[in-house]
Amino acid sequence: MARSVWKGPFVDGYLLKKADKTRASGRNEVIKIWTRRSTILPQFVGLTFGVYNGQKFVPVLVTENMVGHKFGEFSPSRTFYGHAADKKAKRG
Amino acid sequence: MASPRKRQSSPADAVRDTTGDAEGGGELLLGIVVGAQGIRGQLRIRSFTGEPDALFGYGPLLGRRRDGEEGRRLTLRRTGQAKDVVLAAVDGIADRTTAEGLKGLRLYIERSALPALEEDEYYHADLLGLAVELVGGGRLGTVKAVHDFGAGDMLEIADAAGRTKFVPFTRKAVPVVDLPAGRLVADPPEGILDDGRQGPGDQEGGDEDEPDYRVSDTRDGTE
Repeated sequence: MARSVWKGPFVDGYLLKKADKTRASGRNEVIKIWTRRSTILPQFVGLTFGVYNGQKFVPVLVTENMVGHKFGEFSPSRTFYGHAADKKAKRG
Repeated sequence: MASPRKRQSSPADAVRDTTGDAEGGGELLLGIVVGAQGIRGQLRIRSFTGEPDALFGYGPLLGRRRDGEEGRRLTLRRTGQAKDVVLAAVDGIADRTTAEGLKGLRLYIERSALPALEEDEYYHADLLGLAVELVGGGRLGTVKAVHDFGAGDMLEIADAAGRTKFVPFTRKAVPVVDLPAGRLVADPPEGILDDGRQGPGDQEGGDEDEPDYRVSDTRDGTE
């Protein structure tokens, strides 16, 4: 069942403070977070979060397309290593 | 705790599959014959390409059971798909018995058969195994894997002890990719190389602004 709209998106309280602090400092640093359940808000766009997956921090550069998703969606806790074959990577 | 899904192959396997230098040598493993399909000599093939059907776009593939074997050329024609596999007919094979004999065959192409890419595009096979150096000097490790979890491509870099770190594959974080020299230079964002052993309450030496992470704006307290 979907979350009621009147509640607004869920975000852990400390995350907002950390994001504000980093944005104010203007430094290019990774914001380490453990809160995989928090929703990505528009004010997080452009920041890089290190989302803990139980073992390490996965860097997540937030873009507009990610708003509304949860942080945990971008930091899988199980990693599958396939074959390279003809797969490509683009340097963004 | 339940064990995670059985791993199909290790990143080291992926590197071994690329038996050559980054500039055109070596072979790439594109798929494996996992069985026969029907009675007319069709094969069930597990494709490792980005798009499963891309397996058929590189012309005749070199089929080989193990490294060092001479192998044979197979011309495949797509006939369909099934769960996790693509189905293919092979020139010269028309019965199930012969097709079953190909089970376990590994299908390769030469690295040079891959088309050229645009600027800032790289094949995973070329990036795997590259030495990673830091902008300020010093060695960070080697590229173990390339992932895309939905937030853009990132490199998994393993140090000498086998510990891994993730570095975003961006121009800012990886300003230099030198394939002929087998190296890339990384300038990772601050804090990304720190160890993750601290807990949520220990961040930045117990900053007063850091509440316990369980404290949240939970709903209206009616739970």
